[in-house]
Amino acid sequence: MNTSTELNVEMAGLSVSLDRSLSVASLRHFAAGAGFAGDIIGAPLPERLQAVAVASGILAWRSPTETLVVSQDAGRFAALEAGLVGRTDVSFVDQTGGIWIWRITGERASEVLARLGATSAIPAVGHALTSRLAELTVMALCMRAGEILLLVDRVYSAHLMGWVRETVADF
Amino acid sequence: MSGKRLDAPHGSRIERTRRLSFEFNGAPLTGFAGDTLASALLANGVQRVGRSFKLHRPRGIFSCGVEEPSALVDVGVGGRRTPNQRATLVELQEGLTAVSVNCWPSVGFDLGAINSKMSALLPAGFYYKTFKWPNWHVFEPAIRRMAGLGRASGELDPDRYEEVAATADVLVVGGGIAGLTAAVSAATAGARTVLLTSGASLGGSLGWRGDTRVEELVARVERAGVQILTRTMAFGVYDHGLVCARETLPQPATLPQPGLSAGGVLRERLWKIRARHIVAAAGAFERPMLFPNNDLPGVMLAGAVDKYAHAYGVACGERVVIAANSDSAYRVAESLRAAGVNVTALIDRRLPVDIGATVAGVRVLTGAGIAKVSGSRAVKSCRIIATESDGVPAETLECDLILSAGGHAPAVHLHSQAGGKLTWVEESAMFVPDGSAPGLSSVGACAGIFDPAAAMEHADAVGRALASGRAPPPATVRGIGRSLAATHVHGVVGKQFVDLQNDVAMGDVGLAAQENYRSVEHLKRYTTTGMGTDQGKTSNINALVLMGEFTGREPAEVGTTKFRPPFAPVTLGLLVGRRVGSLYRPLKRLPADRWHEERGALFEQFGSWYRPAAYPLPGETLQTAAQREALGVRRRVGILDGSPLGKLEIFGPDAAAFLDLMYVGTMSTLAVGQARYGVLLNENGIVMDDGIVARLGEHHFWVNTTSAGVERTTAAFEEWLQCEYTSLRVAVTSVTSRWGNVTVAGPAAWKLLAAGGFDASFAPQTMKHMTLRSGALDGVPLRVLRASFSGELGYEINVPVDHVEELLQRLWSHAAEFDAIPYGIEALEIMRTEKGFIHIGTDTDGTTLPGDVGFARAVDRKRANFVGRRSLLRPAALDPNRAQLVALSPSDGRTQLPVGAQIAAAMPPTQTEGHVTSSYMSPSLGAPVALGMLVRGSARLGERVRVHHLGTTIEAVVVKAPFIDPTGALLSAAT
Repeated sequence: MNTSTELNVEMAGLSVSLDRSLSVASLRHFAAGAGFAGDIIGAPLPERLQAVAVASGILAWRSPTETLVVSQDAGRFAALEAGLVGRTDVSFVDQTGGIWIWRITGERASEVLARLGATSAIPAVGHALTSRLAELTVMALCMRAGEILLLVDRVYSAHLMGWVRETVADF
Repeated sequence: MSGKRLDAPHGSRIERTRRLSFEFNGAPLTGFAGDTLASALLANGVQRVGRSFKLHRPRGIFSCGVEEPSALVDVGVGGRRTPNQRATLVELQEGLTAVSVNCWPSVGFDLGAINSKMSALLPAGFYYKTFKWPNWHVFEPAIRRMAGLGRASGELDPDRYEEVAATADVLVVGGGIAGLTAAVSAATAGARTVLLTSGASLGGSLGWRGDTRVEELVARVERAGVQILTRTMAFGVYDHGLVCARETLPQPATLPQPGLSAGGVLRERLWKIRARHIVAAAGAFERPMLFPNNDLPGVMLAGAVDKYAHAYGVACGERVVIAANSDSAYRVAESLRAAGVNVTALIDRRLPVDIGATVAGVRVLTGAGIAKVSGSRAVKSCRIIATESDGVPAETLECDLILSAGGHAPAVHLHSQAGGKLTWVEESAMFVPDGSAPGLSSVGACAGIFDPAAAMEHADAVGRALASGRAPPPATVRGIGRSLAATHVHGVVGKQFVDLQNDVAMGDVGLAAQENYRSVEHLKRYTTTGMGTDQGKTSNINALVLMGEFTGREPAEVGTTKFRPPFAPVTLGLLVGRRVGSLYRPLKRLPADRWHEERGALFEQFGSWYRPAAYPLPGETLQTAAQREALGVRRRVGILDGSPLGKLEIFGPDAAAFLDLMYVGTMSTLAVGQARYGVLLNENGIVMDDGIVARLGEHHFWVNTTSAGVERTTAAFEEWLQCEYTSLRVAVTSVTSRWGNVTVAGPAAWKLLAAGGFDASFAPQTMKHMTLRSGALDGVPLRVLRASFSGELGYEINVPVDHVEELLQRLWSHAAEFDAIPYGIEALEIMRTEKGFIHIGTDTDGTTLPGDVGFARAVDRKRANFVGRRSLLRPAALDPNRAQLVALSPSDGRTQLPVGAQIAAAMPPTQTEGHVTSSYMSPSLGAPVALGMLVRGSARLGERVRVHHLGTTIEAVVVKAPFIDPTGALLSAAT
C-alpha cells in the first residue's frame, strides 16, 4: 500500500494528511481497572464520547471498556505496558500501524465529513465520535478547532482517502 | 391547440433577452432562459410529445409539474442520457437534446399504435389471463421489447453524484408562502431551519403571479438565517426524521465530453437531512375531469395552463373550453381571461345550487359534461351534453384546448410516508391529513388550507410551536371551495382515461370491481393505476372515487393506497453517489500490496479482501499457476501473505473460561505457548467459524479466525459477553490490522527461515507443531505459530504490520537458494482440499453442524458446556440422514467434479443426496480431488455415486480423506 505523501490532499481551506508520527494503543479495562488505568496514564480516563489531552498525547473514549491512547512518543507505550504487568483487570494492546490517523485541517474540514457520511460524525472540540464515514467505521476526534483526526483501520485507509479525493475534487 | 408566446409582462419566470436553442426529436427549436422544456415546447406549438405506455396513444403535455403523466422524454445524449424525464421539470438549457419515448419510428407515426386498435382485447389484467399457452417465455421477448418507456444509456455515465448529510431543528419542504412563513417563524424563534424547494425560485404559485407578499417573505427568510436549498426535491421521509432529497445542480453551458480527463461534472446531490421536526408545505395537485378521449394532446389541467400563461408567457391554446366540477375552475377562467387567453366556455358538471363561484365574461354551462372530443391527434371540438335532468341542451363547441378542473388533491405523500392518517373532506372532495404525522406537520395547501392569508397564519403558528417544542396547532380546511367527487360522465361512448400513463380507463376500474377486487391496493395492482413513474398523482383520487361508485361505497370507505418513497423518480446515480469504480465497496488491502505487484500477483477479491490469487508466470493461466505453486510448496517451500487471517487478543481473568464456552475444543487446558484448533458454533449449533487458539499467558490468548470470519467472530464474542456472560471479565481486541502475517510452508520452510535470520528456537526440532513462540528478528517482535493449512511444515509468522514487506523481502532475498516461490489463495485451496481440511463457508453453510464435518467425537469428548451444545441434541441434529462431509474421487481418475454439482441417483430434478463443495486438480496426485456433502456420507466409504452438472453425469467414488499424507508425516518433514 502506498503510504507516501502523494495520498495527501492540499487545497485552499483544506489539508488532509496521513500522520505516521502518532502511535495508537487500545487500553481495555474492566470496572475496577479504570481507576488504575487512569493512574498509570496520569489522568482520569475520558468520559463517554470525550477526548482529552494528556502529557503523553490524547486519550479518546471508544467504548465503556476501551480507551484509545494516541501518542507521538512510542517509547511511552513500553512504559505504560510495563506498568500494567501483573494486572488482570487492564490490558494494553498496541495498535500502531493497524489504525491509521489522518489529520484534516482547514475551514472546510467539517464539509468533508458531511460528504463522507453524516454531520453527526463531526466532533466538537474535546469529543471522539465513532460513526460511519465512506461506508467505514471511523473515529473522528477533535482536540482543537479547525482540526479533526480520523482514525481508521489501515486496511480501509485507501478506500477512505479515495472517497475524500473524489469529494474534494468537487469542492 | 396552437401554443404561442404572450407578450410581457406575462412570463414572470422567463428572461426574454436570453434566447436558448434546443432540439426535440431532431427538430431545432428555441426558448428562453427560465423556460421548462414543456413551456418551450408549448410555445413552439409542439402538441405530441410522447406515446402512452400500453396503447401507444399520442400524448401531449398535461400538467406543469411533478405530477406529469404523459410528457416523458429522454434528455441528453450518450452516457448523459437520462430516461423518462418529465418535460415539465426539465429546465431549458442551451443545446439541450430531448426525444420522445415509447414510440417507433417517430412520435407522429408509431407502429406500436396498433395496440390502440386492439384495445378491446387489452383490458385491465389481460396479461393475467393470456400468454399461458404454450409457454409464457414464448411471448416474453416481444413483450419485453414493447414494455418500458425511455431507454437507459448503455454507456458509462461520465458525471458524478455525491451525498451530503445535514441536520436541522426544523426542515421545511416547500417554498411557497406557507413554507416560507413556517421557516421564518421557526428560524426567528431560534430553530436551526432548512428549507427545500424543488423549483429554481421561491414563492410557489403566488411567486409566479407576482404577489408582493412573496418578495417580503423571501427577504425575511434570508434575514432569519434559514438555509435555503433550491432545485431540491424531498423524495422520502424515513425513520427518525430522516428526509432524503435530490438537489439538481446547475450545469455548465458546455459539458465536458465523455471520456476526456475532465471526468464529467457533479450532476446531482443526495441530501440526507435528519430533522427534529419536518414541515410539509408541498402544495396540492389538480384532479382531472374524465370524459371520452380525455387523453388527447390539447387536454390539460386548468391550473397548469394558468401557470404557463403567467409564469412562462405561453398561451397553450386559442379557443379554450374548461371542463369542471369545482369552484377553482372559475378562478382559472378569470385568470386566463386576464392574461388575454380566449376562454369560450366553462362546462360545469354541477347545477348552480352547488356552485360557489362565478366568472364574468365567460359562458358557463351547468349540469353539463363533455360527451365526445373530436380530433385524432389533437383537439378540434367537443360535444357537450346535459348530465343533469335540467342541464343544458346538447351542442358542439369548436376548441383547440380543453382544460380539466376536477378539484384538488393535497400532496399528502410526505405526511403518509411519515405514518400520518388521512381524512376525506366531502365538500371539497379531497383527502387531507388527519392531524400531524409523527414528527411531521403539514401547512398550506397540502394541509387543505388554500386561502393564502389563512395558510400563512397557520404556518406561522406551526413554525413557532415547533421551534419552542410545543404541539403544532391543527389545520382547518379553507379556501378551496366546493367540488364534486365524481369527475366522469355516464352513458357516453369512448374511453375515459383515469391514469394517463398506464392507459387505465374508467372501464378498467369497473372491470376490477366486477371481478370483486375490493381493496384499493388490489385495484391498483390489478389495473396498474397509480403504478407508473408518476405514481398516480393525477389518477389516484379519481380511481378510488370510481371504485367507490362501482362498489357502493363512499371514497372515505375505499381509502387510499399507501404512499411510499420516492415521491418522484430519482436517478440510480443519485442513490449510488460515490460508490462506483474503486469505491464501489470497501475492500481490505494488504500491507505489502506493492511487493506482490512486483512479483506479478494476480489480485482477486476473496470476501472483503483484495489479495493475490496466484502469481502467474508469462503464458500461465490462473489455474496453471496455482498448480505450479501448490506443487512448488509440496516439493520445496512457498511464501504466502497471510495477513488477512483474523487475529484477536483475548485478555482477562476469565479469558480461558470464556474460550471454553465459545469453542467446541477445550482451551483452558492449554499450557502457555501451546495452540489448539477450535470450531466455533452459534446458538443453533451451526458451525460459524474455525481457527487456532494459542495461549500467550495465564490470562492472555491469541486467537486466529478465518480471514472472512474475524468480524463475525468478534461480534459474536462481544454479544455473548455483553448479553449473556456479563459476569466474565474478558476483553476482546482485534489486532488483525496491527499484525501482518507471513506464512512459510513446505519441506524447506525452516531452511528458508534460518537463512533469513530466525534463531534456532524456531527450528522444528525445538518448536513443535501447534505451538506459538514470541521472539524478535533484528528487534522486530514476532509471534510465530507452527501450524499448517497446507499439510506441510508450516510457520505462520505474525509481525507488526509495518514490517510485513520487510520480512517478505528478507525471505525473498534467499528464495533462489531454496527454490522458494510466492503462492496465492488458489494454491492454498488446492493443498487444503488434498488434505481434506474444511474451508468455512465453502464446505459448510448455514445448516452445517460440527458432526457433519467430522467433529462429532470432539463434541462427545467435551464434558463442559459450550455455545450451541444444547442445539446439537435436537432431533434434526441427531437425524442419521444428515449430510456429512466426504472426499470424492472421479471413477475415471481424470474428470474434475464441478463445484455445486448435485449428487443424486438420477439426473435432477429429483431428490438429491448432496453436492460437491470443493474441487481441484491435484498436481501432487495428477488426479482430481473433491470434497462434498453427502447424506450419511461417513457410512458410505467406497460407494459409487452419480454427480450431475448441467446435463452431464460423472461417476465418483466416496473415498477416505485425506488424499495425501494420511499420517501427517509432512508436517515435520524438513529437508
